[in-house]
Amino acid sequence: MGRRVKVTIDGKVFSAEEGESLLAVALRNGIDIPHLCYEECLEPYGSCRLCIVEVVEGFKKGITTSCTLGCVDGLKVLTNTPEIEKHRKVLFELYLAQAPNSEKLKKLAEKFGVYSTRFKEKNLKNDPLNGKCVMCGLCVRVCNDVLGVGAINFIGRGYRATVNVPYFEESDVCKGCKACVEVCPVDAIDYSDVGDKRVMISWSNTKVDLIKCSVCGRYFSPLPVFGSVSKKLSEYGVVCDVCPDCRKRLIAKNMTSSGGYNSYA
Amino acid sequence: MDFKVVDEIIDKYKDPSGRILGILEDIQDTYNYLPKEVMVYVSKKLNVPLSSLYSVATFYSFFNLEPVGEHLISVCMGTACHVKGAPELLESLKHLLGIDVNEVTDDGKFVLTTTDRKFSLSSARCFGCCSMAPVIRIDDRIYGYVKIKDLPAILKEYGWKEK
Repeated sequence: MGRRVKVTIDGKVFSAEEGESLLAVALRNGIDIPHLCYEECLEPYGSCRLCIVEVVEGFKKGITTSCTLGCVDGLKVLTNTPEIEKHRKVLFELYLAQAPNSEKLKKLAEKFGVYSTRFKEKNLKNDPLNGKCVMCGLCVRVCNDVLGVGAINFIGRGYRATVNVPYFEESDVCKGCKACVEVCPVDAIDYSDVGDKRVMISWSNTKVDLIKCSVCGRYFSPLPVFGSVSKKLSEYGVVCDVCPDCRKRLIAKNMTSSGGYNSYA
Repeated sequence: MDFKVVDEIIDKYKDPSGRILGILEDIQDTYNYLPKEVMVYVSKKLNVPLSSLYSVATFYSFFNLEPVGEHLISVCMGTACHVKGAPELLESLKHLLGIDVNEVTDDGKFVLTTTDRKFSLSSARCFGCCSMAPVIRIDDRIYGYVKIKDLPAILKEYGWKEK
């Protein structure tokens, strides 16, 4: 743990670790700053610009992105000045034009008082992400930096830039873990579980086998993910081929029959 | 496909950071484009995800993912050339080479190739010689002050025959 410092957000004093992202501190304490490209498990990226705050004291004064702003002692910021609202409105309008079909983005924009855009809405033919992607890069970073899979990346540049699998062909490295779906801030990535297969619709219908729960027979985990996880967990004697629900039941049963928590399931 | 050549190219680049661009550039020099098999091979050999290589290859307009003709003709569409009649030059070149489809590929690149794979025609932004507008480039040679009536003579240097 680093040194504890005191930061002031909108007049309220919070304790934070030195160098920690200010956005993280704000979110932890229930201060709602809009953001698209920030995710706890990744380094701050500062690309969506939505999390701008105004620094009043403790750092170079002016407007900056709070995710890349490191906490220092005596840092004072404001999150809702008229100037920030003005900039944020333009940003939301630009995003609404970039991803006109994303309901989640619309809701976020409405929450901050933006209901429509003055800009021309983007409309590309054959867009696998159906005009929902804001190009925040979270899915790409999760797939490459966190999971080390690298199934997807940015393709092209400028107006036609998009995120997808190489050559827009079914990927043979995608594990179907749907981490990309989970981190996507605008719900742009589609997938569906059909029978014993998971289909990553947005990634050119990449298909991944699912594994069955040995107790209830429900399909619950993609096989490639299961393979790597079960190898690690089996060292600890964990039974892996049961779904989360059945695992809970098994643990409960073990606890009640043996009088204490002594097994992983 | 002969992967020995690809291996030699990869061996030339020792420094792991930033070598991808150099390797892809040399591959394009060898094959005139980036064949898919070679991309897959490079990705395995370097242990870099194919998606990263594809991302780099689609980012730079310099790279071609589809086979191109023996000679690449680029017509400058920069402001100066545009004013001096570059669109007409492009139309005449299309006519002379016998390509008259006005198509843009899915990746937004404009490359047209003749059926005998001798010439590819594309438009470019600026070659940095606006004073010579309108400018066309064939392979590595720049032609300035191009007039429509000069085009057949220039194309003949590259083995073009009038049909």
